[in-house]
Amino acid sequence: MKIPFTKKNIIEIKTEPAEKFGKDEGAFDIRIKGGELKKTVDKIFGRSLFVRLVDSGSCNACENELSLLASPYYDIERFGIKFVASPRHADILLITGCMTRNMFNPVWNVYNSMPDPKLVITAGDCQGENPYFGESYSIMGPAGKWLPVAMHIKGCPPEPGAIIHSLLELTKKL
Amino acid sequence: MTASNSVDFQGEPIGRENLLETVAGVKHEGVYLLGIFAIDNGDGSFEIKYFFGPEKNSSTVKALSILASIDFPSISGIMPAAKIYEREIMDMFGLFPLNHPDLKPLMLFPENWDGTVHPLKKDWDKTIPEFKKYGEYPYKKAHGNGVFEIPVGPVHAGIIEPGHFRFSMRGEPVLQLEIRHFWKHRGIEKLCEGKTVSEALKIVSRISGDNSAGISLAYLEASEKILGIEIPIRAKFIRVILAEIERLWNHVRDIGYIFMDMGYTPKAQAMFVLEEDILRLNKFVASHRYMFDALQLGGVASASDIDINKTGAIRGVLKSAGEKLKKAEWYILNSPSVTDRIELAGKINKKTAEELSLCGICARASGLRRDSRIEMPYLLYGETVQVSQKTFEEGDILARTRIRIMEAFESINIIQNLLAWLPESGEDLIPKDCAEGVPVSSGWAIGNTETPRGNAFFYIKTGEDGNIERLKYIDPSFRNWPSIQYGILGGIIADFPLVNKSMNLSYAGNDL
Ligand code: SF4
Repeated sequence: MKIPFTKKNIIEIKTEPAEKFGKDEGAFDIRIKGGELKKTVDKIFGRSLFVRLVDSGSCNACENELSLLASPYYDIERFGIKFVASPRHADILLITGCMTRNMFNPVWNVYNSMPDPKLVITAGDCQGENPYFGESYSIMGPAGKWLPVAMHIKGCPPEPGAIIHSLLELTKKL
Repeated sequence: MTASNSVDFQGEPIGRENLLETVAGVKHEGVYLLGIFAIDNGDGSFEIKYFFGPEKNSSTVKALSILASIDFPSISGIMPAAKIYEREIMDMFGLFPLNHPDLKPLMLFPENWDGTVHPLKKDWDKTIPEFKKYGEYPYKKAHGNGVFEIPVGPVHAGIIEPGHFRFSMRGEPVLQLEIRHFWKHRGIEKLCEGKTVSEALKIVSRISGDNSAGISLAYLEASEKILGIEIPIRAKFIRVILAEIERLWNHVRDIGYIFMDMGYTPKAQAMFVLEEDILRLNKFVASHRYMFDALQLGGVASASDIDINKTGAIRGVLKSAGEKLKKAEWYILNSPSVTDRIELAGKINKKTAEELSLCGICARASGLRRDSRIEMPYLLYGETVQVSQKTFEEGDILARTRIRIMEAFESINIIQNLLAWLPESGEDLIPKDCAEGVPVSSGWAIGNTETPRGNAFFYIKTGEDGNIERLKYIDPSFRNWPSIQYGILGGIIADFPLVNKSMNLSYAGNDL
């Protein structure tokens, strides 16, 4: 069944009341940015953008932020973005962590099992300058050395709001 | 000098022929294994150190050491928990454990690493072997009629860290599970060598992001002992408050995951909302959602000072956390569909827990009274902050979940009390001599803290120049991962996610 895209079934984007403490730019941003993101995802990806995450050696804070994207505060699925279980379903490969030697082959395997066209993005400073673990014997360096990385999301870890923002920037460019 | 530093050390290394006997004697006294690791003396000989947790009613950590040059006797026959430590020593130093029951590579994979290169040896010339296949990892095989294997991972379905699980099944029940980890091995111990104590703190706080404060505290415990730094009382309060906030959010998240994995989404989401609230609180209080860099040598960073606004914010979040957890507890105890799913599943017997020297929630749910806050008190614990010891005998998922809830309530209590008694603002957050420049001192010390997952152990040795010569970290997850292999036996594979989540062990901390 094809659901016509009318005003009525556009999910109204609500966020929790802005922060209870301190000033916050995040909450308001997400409402606006998320709305825009949804529009671009609707247009370019036919309403669904599937992301496959691979942790290539992170400290797990990056993963925690990504899993919080699905929590009610952000609920990224309402913008048409879903983290999928199989690389075969994915449009985007998202890599976090500093690409250890041991994860090198698994990351390649995931990339190769994704259907074309596909995009690679990286998140977290571990994939950028990597000031903490860069010199180690078991680190292969950022994924950009081997894979065509379309975008890098900065931050240690990048906050959920920043991830949504970056995805918007990315889809706008497509 | 705090109690957890008191090491009952045998002084000189003992003769290796006496090792097994001594370990058997130590085990008889009822202590458990804290860790085994090697140190390169630089003259072709290696010191292998054995640390054992304190006996009942004592806070003294026992230690032994032997000298080795090529091989050393394995104590896995007496203490099965020693298996992984001995495999690690073989990888990192090339010392061969004699009579080891399950000898194969651990952190350095034969699929990409030349087994003759040992990175923690001092004479390693830093040449990294070419990336190619050197061998094959030997998995355990189960044989028999109708036995089949289900390999899972390293890349899992969902937002989880990588690890490989190999189930051998016959029909529904799991016959055997082999866990192969260390995909995320980042070589942190080597990285910290040669760094100054405060440089290494930045790396240490990123060992396992969700336990950042707990792990950093163990590191600081050890390094401040070496440097002889006395922490100001206000900083001690703030450190404990941050550590307990971290415990609270970890437990909240893990309870959420348990609801999630048994298919009870609304309650799970309620917990995730609370988790996000606490993370935002962290950002407000410690200027980072995961408290990275919130702690400093000698005290806490000035950005994580707790003023009146922050006190109010913390109180507010604690109140809503208390209410939400009460509801969650009600569902866990009173909803038959919840209790049915998690009662008796994933059982780890007390005997197994003892033999594997488990720590943290897993140990307490199996009837072992293990909590570093009580056994090896640090900071305010043991005096100002009294932690009650909650244990269950059942060892199943329900027991672990209930302990999580009780501990979350206790953390709320502790934080509230500490906030009420927080010493005047305006007191130092870092001792004066430390603020001007970090002192330099050589020596070694250990540090123990209770992270939300269990005991974190640090051994730090600094050289003449004050830089780190050897750093050893043992994560609670490193001790507890093998226990899942026993918890799932005889169960169905659908129980595995729940067993896993009820412990919620870190891959990053384990793999280092
Ligand atoms: S970027 Fe930071 S938060 Fe992310 S994995 Fe690396 S150290 Fe952890």
